[in-house]
Amino acid sequence: MKLTTKFTLWYFGIMLFVLLMGGYIVYYEIQNKLSRVEVVRHQRLNDLIAGQVRAGGDYSNHPTRKRATVTPIPADSVPRGISTYYTRGIGWNPEFQENEYRLLVTSFYLIHGQWYRITTYSFIPSFYQLLPGVVDSFKWIFLLLLILVIISAGLISKYILAPFKRTLRVIQSFDLKQKTAIRLPDTQTSEFRELNVFLQKMTEKAREDYRSLKEFTENTSHELQTPTAIIRGKLDLLMESDIRDEQAILIAETQNALERLSRIHSSLTLLTKLENHEYEADTRVCISQLTRETLNSFEELIQLKSLTLMTTIAEKIYVPLHPSLADLLLTNLIGNAIRHNMPPADFGEEGAAGNGLIQVNLTREGLIVVNTGRKPQVPTAELFERFKKGNSGSDSIGIGLAIVRQICDLSHFTIDYQYRDGFHCLAVGFGPRVAASKLLQNLSLPLHSRA
Amino acid sequence: MKVLIIEDNQELARNIRDFLDREGYICESCDTLEAAKEKLELFQYDCILLDIGLPDGNGISLLNLIRAEYKDSNVLIISAKNALDDKIIGLEKGADDYITKPFHLAELHARIRAVYRRKNLGGTNIVAFNEISLNTDTFEVRVLDHLLDTTPKEFDLLLYFIVNKNRVLSRQAIAAHLWGDYTDNLANFDFVYQHVKNLRRKISGAGGVDYISTVYGLGYKFNAQ
Repeated sequence: MKLTTKFTLWYFGIMLFVLLMGGYIVYYEIQNKLSRVEVVRHQRLNDLIAGQVRAGGDYSNHPTRKRATVTPIPADSVPRGISTYYTRGIGWNPEFQENEYRLLVTSFYLIHGQWYRITTYSFIPSFYQLLPGVVDSFKWIFLLLLILVIISAGLISKYILAPFKRTLRVIQSFDLKQKTAIRLPDTQTSEFRELNVFLQKMTEKAREDYRSLKEFTENTSHELQTPTAIIRGKLDLLMESDIRDEQAILIAETQNALERLSRIHSSLTLLTKLENHEYEADTRVCISQLTRETLNSFEELIQLKSLTLMTTIAEKIYVPLHPSLADLLLTNLIGNAIRHNMPPADFGEEGAAGNGLIQVNLTREGLIVVNTGRKPQVPTAELFERFKKGNSGSDSIGIGLAIVRQICDLSHFTIDYQYRDGFHCLAVGFGPRVAASKLLQNLSLPLHSRA
Repeated sequence: MKVLIIEDNQELARNIRDFLDREGYICESCDTLEAAKEKLELFQYDCILLDIGLPDGNGISLLNLIRAEYKDSNVLIISAKNALDDKIIGLEKGADDYITKPFHLAELHARIRAVYRRKNLGGTNIVAFNEISLNTDTFEVRVLDHLLDTTPKEFDLLLYFIVNKNRVLSRQAIAAHLWGDYTDNLANFDFVYQHVKNLRRKISGAGGVDYISTVYGLGYKFNAQ
């Protein structure tokens, strides 16, 4: 809900409450004042009649007596402390031949030693007759206020929130990689000023951190690669000197460890770069083309391992991905499918024999790579973690899938990995709305080529 | 071939020099941009190995100068930063190739030879050794004038062997050469073995000498003698 709408709704609630209270107060006050004025008038009339009684004479037809009764009363029935009181209620109005609201004012006078009770009355508009008028007027007031609040809320919020909205726009377009600090608009509102100062500081800090992290990554990359290159070169040279067999083994083992070190290092550097969003996709690559190229480059390995390759590659599929990342993604997925491939016979599937299989399906929704292989020793989901290997004996460093997942996360692709009846099935859904797990559900597994 | 090594790390420069000396190349090295400029003014080089990160500046700036003044030299960039930007900028500015640390010396040598071939042999592009000849344009291998049916990787491998003949090539170096950096090629040694085996079989089958031998524990060697 918009801030303005929220404010307006709250104002609306408060207004409703105030107007309801106000209406009640007005109604109550009007009826009170009306009675009060009437009572004062009648008191004057009562005084007048008392004067007439005091003066003596016949006033029974005098206009003052039209709605008056004068009754002599014994002294002991005179109430103490008050000389006048009034009552209200329904009474018969003979002039209108109707029951109407009547106000009776009773006063007591001591005239020539005799107590008199003088009562006059008149018909006043009933409160129920007043009510619609009050309600009506408040209805109009309410309507007027409502319109004004809605209009002013729109206008005022536009004016007051303008700096906030500008700040928001600046922040939304903020990019860690941008070279210059963000520029936030000036504002007179102290809260917004505070917010701007805070944002300025925060983005500056983020930019600083990003820069130093990037620098650190690049530095370590640089500083570690040079010594590694030196060691590698020395080993290359050492290999060519006159060495004994056992020395050769030592060199080979050193080389293996060095290879591993350099590979782990470059993979971790790559992952950091991915996390730092250094490869933003600004174009769409033709994944169909790339898939075919990658398969071609692996063709010989597939043949060497005597694998059967089955492909269904849809034409002209474009996905938003950095070309290098697309290449990495495909190389890792297909490379894994080849490296960890095992013909069904090799892992003791009953009655199954023949070649290992690779199936690559590319559709508009996503990419599915299926390969035969040994049952993984850990849950497949964990294989996306760094240095997790499905088979602890294998010679790989176990970072390929972590890179794949990082690329997918970065590109808002979904990914899922399942192991089913001797098949490793890995799906990448292009785009956040394509669930990779759904792609795997609909997948029909290739049949084992049973001999 | 005259090679200028512009590299600030003495040890690495010496590795390269030691390796290339054995090929009969004349190597000189310097460790700053200034020294490099001096050397370039005085001598002519067939190939320049240029490190990007130098103490007195970025190697890319020198690349501009080389391209403007010394057009005939091949330039091979050596960089520790496997940053995409460097690669693209380097190649756009006219470097002939790009190699990332840590590299195998045999790989560097193969690259030097490749850029040299591309530029200096003017279209013939035949690499020959005794009865074996390779055409780097058509990717054809001939042994005693018989056309050999080789796969692209086998072609690559044979070329790599011939360029680095009489050298022990480790399985790591061969794997890195055939499949590049990013594949997890620790597990690819089986493939190296199979490729080498197939290649030897094909050359022998065509009546060629089996020059390739296994070096115990380490890898393979193409014996020219």
